[in-house]
Amino acid sequence: MAGIHIERVTKSYGQLAVLKDFSLEVKDGEFVVFVGPSGCGKSTMLKILAGLEEASSGSIRIGGRDVTDLAPGDRDIAMVFQNYALYPHLTVRKNMGFGLKMRGTDSTEIDRRVTDAAKILGVEHLLDRRPKALSGGQRQRVALGRAIVREPQAFLMDEPLSNLDAKLRVHTRAEISALHKRLGVTTIYVTHDQIEAMTMADRIVIMRDGIIQQIADPDTMFRKPANLFVAGFIGSPGMNFLRATVTSNGANPAVRLFGHEVPLQASQSLAGRDVVVGLRPEHIVAGPGPVTFEVTPRLVESLGSEKYIYVDVPSENRAEVARSGGDERRTDTIIARLINPDERIADGRITLSFDPARLHLFDATTQASIE
Amino acid sequence: MKRSLLNQTILYGTVILVCALLVFPIYWLFITAISPPDQLRVLPPRFWPEFPRWEVFGQIMRDRPVLLWLGNSALAALGSVILSMTVSVLAGYSLSRFRVRGGQSLGLFILTAKMLPATLLVIPLFGIFRTLDLIGSLWSIILAHATLIVPFTTWMLKGYFDTIPRELEQAAMVDGCSPLGAMARVILPVSAPGLAATALYGFVLSWSDYAYARTFLTNAQTNWTANLGITTMKGEYISNWGDISAASILVALPVLLIYLFLERYLVGGLTAGAEK
Repeated sequence: MAGIHIERVTKSYGQLAVLKDFSLEVKDGEFVVFVGPSGCGKSTMLKILAGLEEASSGSIRIGGRDVTDLAPGDRDIAMVFQNYALYPHLTVRKNMGFGLKMRGTDSTEIDRRVTDAAKILGVEHLLDRRPKALSGGQRQRVALGRAIVREPQAFLMDEPLSNLDAKLRVHTRAEISALHKRLGVTTIYVTHDQIEAMTMADRIVIMRDGIIQQIADPDTMFRKPANLFVAGFIGSPGMNFLRATVTSNGANPAVRLFGHEVPLQASQSLAGRDVVVGLRPEHIVAGPGPVTFEVTPRLVESLGSEKYIYVDVPSENRAEVARSGGDERRTDTIIARLINPDERIADGRITLSFDPARLHLFDATTQASIE
Repeated sequence: MKRSLLNQTILYGTVILVCALLVFPIYWLFITAISPPDQLRVLPPRFWPEFPRWEVFGQIMRDRPVLLWLGNSALAALGSVILSMTVSVLAGYSLSRFRVRGGQSLGLFILTAKMLPATLLVIPLFGIFRTLDLIGSLWSIILAHATLIVPFTTWMLKGYFDTIPRELEQAAMVDGCSPLGAMARVILPVSAPGLAATALYGFVLSWSDYAYARTFLTNAQTNWTANLGITTMKGEYISNWGDISAASILVALPVLLIYLFLERYLVGGLTAGAEK
């Protein structure tokens, strides 16, 4: 086990810079998740850590040892790939023992460790099968087994759950977390799924266009997003954005949302500034509250225990900022996520409210969070 | 239902017709071999001889050094396959995996080499082999066949390697293999069907060659390959077509057997390589 120190790593393909000045200190035994949309550089960073890609500049230390120029096999790390990358011509037993065999480990020791790992993962009965005779979930376990028999200093996982169906993904997610708690090995996990990041990580590194947007634990990431991108990316559905100009309403600054003057708990110096106001869907509730407004929903989606209410945004509040980190380009609606809602909510006018204390403020130009 | 019966009839009719067209020459070769010489040109032709001379196969092996020729053919074919596979595995793998400046043009250039007719290379190769003092040696045709085999097998193997996920060798490297070790321990075993198909292609190409053997080996009777040997059985005035046919069957037999045994691999290998 070891900490990982990444210092000012960059990666460019010709003119195209895919990683810009990436620095991170991962503590011994920590579970860190790199998350971001496709092409944000998270997998590239993982491959650089594994030694499968060369960094254009910067350095990497694992357990205090500089591994920047070492071959993948000399870094003492194990990797789990998205498509599992099991060797199809070898049995499960040989797949799991391959790395140890390459390191010249004694065959009885290999056998012992493979059997132990197989027990932990519940794949003992599969040891003499070939990968093609396994289901997706079983392959995933074997891939994890191949990593843990090596007893490496760190695990690197590249979207290991994305080939599993939704149910199995939730199950395996919990198993990986439990395995991490049991083994305590430093783990870096790459995913584009913010739910995986939130549920598994000790700390999340959220990336966009090769740049780290924020490094924080899941709760901080949710409560205090550093910018609009993070705010839109974390949470499901993503944060709602409303455009407004801060006015000075006597002692307190305020913004006009849904036709109401909403007082802000912010500095007077904001007066006159264009801001984007963020409001999480789960912070809008049914019925009257501190700020109440009546709407006719455009659409109501029922998930049984909760309902998503799509509400038209007044034109003065439409923000040219997309929800969910740029994937969803709807700027004319916000979503209210009502937990255990009244079953009668369907069509017609309904009353919604929110607490101004729950609002997030972002600078409309820099998109950075305003404290 | 009626339509499906019609479809089936057309389908099977076409298959039978195509098979008949392909199999008939082989059947006729066999009939010619076992027919007595005086029954070869009778009208109407006989589709099965009255007195088949089964002893013809043993007889030509006693009268002519057919086994020596077959041995030479096998040596030449194996030699050219080993040489070509060594080159084309490395070349195909490099073209598939490494981003090299001009790599794509290089790949196309190699493919263009395949488009040159084999006869075009006979004279320059003759000049080269004479300089190297290889005329009359089996090495001449081993090298000559390799020049024909390598371009195609390189391209075929590149296509096959393209279908194998890169993560496999990345996993092997994380597990402690060098890049070449990952290729040898993981990629090559996984590519067995593709390797079998390309090796067989090279073997058949070398085995069936006549032009190069005729040019480079004419004056070295002990090094004649089977195809070259058979042509010497044809006389200027009299040719015993029965013996020639029997020898031809003996030459075709090894390849036929290899195809039968490797058919499953071969089809898998050819289709997998053809995907890209």
